[in-house]
Amino acid sequence: MISSKTIKKNLFQIYALTEKNIKLNLRFKYQVIISYITPILSILMPLIILEQFFQFSERFNFSVWNENNYLVFQFMAYQVLLLKRVIQEFPTQLRIEKFWKTLPIIIIAPFNRFNLLLGIFFTQLILISIPFIIFSILCYIYYPVSFLTVIFIIIIFFLIALIFSGIGLLIGIFAISNENVWKALSFIVSLIFWVSCVTYPFDIFPEFIQQIINLNPLYYIFDLLRLAWIYNDVLLTITLLSQNFIILIAFSIILPCLGVVIFNLIYKKYGIVGY
Amino acid sequence: MGLLDIKIMTDKIIETFDLSKIYQLKGRKKEIRALDDVNISINKGDIFGFLGPNGAGKTTMIQILTTILQPTSGYALIDGYNILKKPKKAKSKVSLMLESDMLYYRITAYDNLKFFCKIYNVSNYDQKIRDMTKAFGLEKWLNQYVEKFSSGMKMKLALLRTLLLDRDIMFLDEPTLGLDVKSKNFIIEILRDVKKTIFLTSHDMGVVEKLCNRVAFINNGKILKIGTKEDIQQLKQTEVKINLDIHFEKRKLKSELKNQDFINEIIDSKNGFLLELKGRDNYKDLLSILVKYDITGINEQKESLEESFLKII
Repeated sequence: MISSKTIKKNLFQIYALTEKNIKLNLRFKYQVIISYITPILSILMPLIILEQFFQFSERFNFSVWNENNYLVFQFMAYQVLLLKRVIQEFPTQLRIEKFWKTLPIIIIAPFNRFNLLLGIFFTQLILISIPFIIFSILCYIYYPVSFLTVIFIIIIFFLIALIFSGIGLLIGIFAISNENVWKALSFIVSLIFWVSCVTYPFDIFPEFIQQIINLNPLYYIFDLLRLAWIYNDVLLTITLLSQNFIILIAFSIILPCLGVVIFNLIYKKYGIVGY
Repeated sequence: MGLLDIKIMTDKIIETFDLSKIYQLKGRKKEIRALDDVNISINKGDIFGFLGPNGAGKTTMIQILTTILQPTSGYALIDGYNILKKPKKAKSKVSLMLESDMLYYRITAYDNLKFFCKIYNVSNYDQKIRDMTKAFGLEKWLNQYVEKFSSGMKMKLALLRTLLLDRDIMFLDEPTLGLDVKSKNFIIEILRDVKKTIFLTSHDMGVVEKLCNRVAFINNGKILKIGTKEDIQQLKQTEVKINLDIHFEKRKLKSELKNQDFINEIIDSKNGFLLELKGRDNYKDLLSILVKYDITGINEQKESLEESFLKII
């Protein structure tokens, strides 16, 4: 049984890590602002292509995506790409700690590695909150949904962020113990994102790529996220996309745990290498 | 539950048992034994100096004892807790200051200290930070970015952090490295008054002499000698090396010096000789000979602590 003292102690440590990380990030504010703009560039081209596509063939659609809702598709793509910062921030943060040599002091501190994960997780959620809320409002203006759906979408985003944290920690440990593996893993993540239909609808891809996309769990998760908005009915979404929902829940539990376990194993075996 | 899984009741606060660490060298089949069956024991309250040349294994030892690194074989007890079986318990006893300052340069000194106090669960940290920064003369710098600090101030801040964490054992790796005499003396005074066990590495004989009550010397991963403060004092009584510069009558002087029984060795150098006197007391005898010659330069070659240690071992 975990005592309230232990919970309080852990929350205090997560708060300390978050506070410190935010201060470090906001030391050079333009870096943060530019990181808000970069995902816009990623959705700009698909936005133009889809816009032109629907303009020339008004009756055509890609699955549920048509000229009336494709902006929601792209705005949510922006939010997912913004959330991707969580993955990137783990190796970045841990590498900074590696070169400042502050990591050993954190490692020997009496705290759980989950706190390290949650510290970076909350830092990024707070840092991306402003553009995230703006794009959520844009989605709402363009395609209004019920309050319950908004809550449901927020929960899905939260779980996606947890999945990304797990992936981030997994990559992050290699950023301090083996930078070759770190780069290779980062490339694999980019590849997985490319075949996750984050910026283009599934139907736009050729059949052989669609077969690969079907193997990608992220595709099901992002699909659930956007369809939840379009269906605007939580029960219907869960019923129709139960498989997607199970994948989301399973991965949001497995990946953070796996991240922590791998982090501990690799750190124990190799330690900090390369400075 | 094995015997090593529980806390061992002992009056020793640090004990190592055949502790070894092997590193594989890249591109070769050879391996380096950074630590080779190291056995040491340190009593509660000891200020223990761990000395050795660069690459001797000092930092590896600290990293293993603070659970940052895993030993290849052997184990250690930190206040009775096995570092392999009870790393969390062992960690809860230690605070660490490695060779570098280990600080976040992009946030203020106060934010640095506050962060470490929070993750180490230090209570009433705000008051403690203010009191200690005042004692360290850093109160005016508390809200400045660490990147603006001089090296000495960064080291002071790092030491202040280590003290704030209030652990039973402080591991300090070269805490006076690169500091001026005033800062060095300040840190010595602070550490002398700390009622804790200190495991300290340093190249500075003065620091070790003023602070440590026990000393171990390590080279190539092996403990060569463990001694008390008296052993350090003894080092001062060993031979004295003197560089002597002479323009004329070099041969005459050399032959005269060769006949003196207080001189161990004479080695020719570019401008004269390198002499080794048996002891500092023989200076008088030497000078009585040198006054007859046209000596252009004389200076004592100071031995490093490592050299002195290596000589007596």
